[in-house]
Amino acid sequence: MIEISATEIKKQKKLVLTWSITFLTVFPLLIILGLLMRLNQGEKISLGMDNFYVLMTLHGLGMAGILYSIAFAALWYLIGTRYAKLNTGTGYFVFFMVLAGVAGLVIATLIGKFGAGWYLLYPLPFKGTFWPTWATGLSIISLIILGIAWLIGIIHLVYALAKEFGGFSNLLGWQYIRKKEVDRELPPIVLITTVSLVPGVIAFIAGAVFLVMFLLQHFEPTLAFDPLLLKNLIFFFGHTLVNITLYCCIGWVYALLPEFTGRPWKVDKVVVYSWNATFFFILFAYFHHLYMDFVQPLPFQYAGQIASYLSAIPATAITMFGVIAQLYHSKVKWGVIPLSFLLGTAGWAIGGFSAVVDSTIAANKVLHNTLWVPAHFHTYMLGGVVLFILGFLFYLSHSKEEQEKDKMAKFGLWLFVIAVHSFIATFYRGGLRSIPRRYSDYGGIRIEYTHSTGALLAQIASVFIGLLLVGLIIMYVSIIVKLSKRKIPSAGA
Amino acid sequence: MSFIIKTLIFESVFQANPIVMIQFIPLLTIQTFAAVISFIAGALVTLVVFFLIFTSSKEEDKTSAKHKVYKMRGRYFFGLVLSIVIVLLLTLRLLPYEKFQGTPEETVTVVAMQWMWKMGPGLSDKKPAEFGGAGEITLPANKMIRFVVTSSDVNHSFGIYNSKGVLVTQTQAMPQYNNILEHVFDEKGEYHILCLEYCGLPHGLMVGKININ
Repeated sequence: MIEISATEIKKQKKLVLTWSITFLTVFPLLIILGLLMRLNQGEKISLGMDNFYVLMTLHGLGMAGILYSIAFAALWYLIGTRYAKLNTGTGYFVFFMVLAGVAGLVIATLIGKFGAGWYLLYPLPFKGTFWPTWATGLSIISLIILGIAWLIGIIHLVYALAKEFGGFSNLLGWQYIRKKEVDRELPPIVLITTVSLVPGVIAFIAGAVFLVMFLLQHFEPTLAFDPLLLKNLIFFFGHTLVNITLYCCIGWVYALLPEFTGRPWKVDKVVVYSWNATFFFILFAYFHHLYMDFVQPLPFQYAGQIASYLSAIPATAITMFGVIAQLYHSKVKWGVIPLSFLLGTAGWAIGGFSAVVDSTIAANKVLHNTLWVPAHFHTYMLGGVVLFILGFLFYLSHSKEEQEKDKMAKFGLWLFVIAVHSFIATFYRGGLRSIPRRYSDYGGIRIEYTHSTGALLAQIASVFIGLLLVGLIIMYVSIIVKLSKRKIPSAGA
Repeated sequence: MSFIIKTLIFESVFQANPIVMIQFIPLLTIQTFAAVISFIAGALVTLVVFFLIFTSSKEEDKTSAKHKVYKMRGRYFFGLVLSIVIVLLLTLRLLPYEKFQGTPEETVTVVAMQWMWKMGPGLSDKKPAEFGGAGEITLPANKMIRFVVTSSDVNHSFGIYNSKGVLVTQTQAMPQYNNILEHVFDEKGEYHILCLEYCGLPHGLMVGKININ
C-alpha cells in the first residue's frame, strides 16, 4: 500500500485549488449567459438571434466542460492524496491544455460568433452558417485539444490505480466475485472512478473520430459523411461526458459522507455487480437521443429505452439506498457538506426520474426537444452535480466543525436549492406545454398560446436564476473566506 | 403452478392492449401522465429528504439501522424490477415507427430546408433540393397519413402542433434519409409545423401549416 508524503499532498492541494478557483470564476459567468438567454426568450432584452445562439453554444459547451473538469479534478485530488501516486506535472499539463481549449472556444464564440450549439450537429457547422469558417475550424481544434487533455488525465489516473491495486480487473472489483476474502479492500471511490472514467475513454475516442471527420470536412468542403453515423458518434460522446460527470461526483460522496455519519461505506459483491452493470448502462443509454430518427435500427431504439430504465436499478437501489443507510438515525450534524450531498442526491433522483420518463419512446414523441429536456438535465446537473461539487469545495475549505456552524453557508445552500428547483419548474412546465427548446425567442410561433406561455415562463425563470445567483454568492463568500484563512484539512486524515 | 403464473402475467400484461387501456382514460395525454408521475416521484423524494433530516437526531446502532434500510431496499428492488418489466412490456408496443402503425391511406412528401418546409401529395421521386412543395397542405381527418420526411441540407425536426399548442407528434428530417411518420388527425382545423431541431439562425421562424378537413 502506497504512502503519500506530506509534500505530495501539499502539491495535490495546490493543483485542486487551481481547478477550484477556475471553476468558481467560470461557473457564475456561464450562469449569467443562461440568464441572458432566458431574458431574451422572455422578451425583456433583445440580444438578436445570432448572439443568442452564440451564448447558447458557449453556455452548453462551457457548462459541460467545466463541470466535468472540476469533477475529474476532485477525484484526482482524493485519489492522489489517498490511494495512488499521481504526477502533478501531468495534472498541470491537463489543466493548461483545458485552459487552451477553453480559450479557443471563447474566441470562436464571442469573437467568431460560432453558434452551432454544443453538439455541432453535422452538417450544421458547415451549411448556412452565420459565422466565418475560421470560427468552425477553431472550435473543432479547441474541442480536440480538450478531448486530448481529458484523455491524458484519465489514462494517467486509471493506469496509476491499476498499478497500485494489481491490475485493471481489480479496479472493477472482480476479485470480490472470484474470492471469498479479498487480500486488499477496494475503496468505493476507486471502483466508481474506474466505472466512470473508462467509458469516458471510449467516449473521447468517439469524440476524436467525429472531430477528425469534421476537420477533414472543414478543409475539404466537398466531402459528405453519413449524418446518422455522425449523430450516433456525437450523442455517444456528449451523453457519456455528462453522465460520467455525475458518476465522478458519486465517487466522492461514497468517500466523504462516512466521515460525517461515522458509518463505513464499503465495497461488497452487491456494490461490484451494481457498478459493473452501470458501466454498460452508461455506454448504451445514449441511444435514447436518437428515438426520433426513425431510420435508426430498431434494436438500438429498444436498447436505448431498456438501458435507460435499467440504469435506475443500481442508481436507486444501491447508491441512493446507500445514502439513506448512511444517514438514517445516524445522529449526523447537518453541516453544509452532508446537506449538499443529501440534496444533490435528491436532485439526481428527481432529474433521473424525469430522464427515464423522456427515455420512454412513446413519451419522447411529444417531449423530445421541448423544454422537458433542459428541465431534466438541469435538475440532474444544477440540482445534483453542482451540489456535489459545492459539497466538495466546502470539504476543501471548511473543517468538520466549521461546516456544522456555518449558518451563512447553509442559508446560501437552501436559497440556492429552492431557487434551482423553482427555476427548473419553469422548464418542466414549458415541456408539458410543448414549448420548443433552442428557440432564441417565441415570436415566430404562430400559436399565440405557445408564444405567450414560452415568454412568460422565461420571465419567471429569470427571477429564479437571479435568486440562485444570490445563494451561490453567499456560499462563495463562505468558501473564499475560509480558504483564505486556513490550511486545507489533510485528506484521508 | 408456474404455468398458471406465466399465463396470468402473459394474459394481463403482454396481451393487454395499451392503446385500448389508455382510451379508458381520455383526459390522460402523454404530457399529463408525465406531469403526474414526475410530480409524485418528486414529492416522494422530497418526503424522504425531510424524513432523513428530521429523524436523524435519533441515534440507532448502525447495524440495526442498516438492517432496516436494507430490508426496505429488498422490497423496493423487487417492486422496481417488476415495474420496469411491466412498463417496458406496455410501452415498447406503443412505438411511433412505421411497423407499429396501421395501413396508410395517403402519402405526403415533406422536405425540410434552411429555413422552410416543402410539402406535397404523393411520394416524390425528385431529389430533395429539386422538390417543389408548399409550406401549407390540406389533408383529410381520420385517415392514416404517411409523411415521408427528409432534408435537403441540415438536420431539422418535423414537429406537428394542434391549434391549442400541444405537440402531437414529430420526427427528424435528416439529409440522405427518409423518416416515415404516420399519423391520424382526429380533429379538424389548423395544425402548425415547427422545427424542433436547431438548424441555424432563423430556426425559430421555420414554420408550416396543415389544414385538416
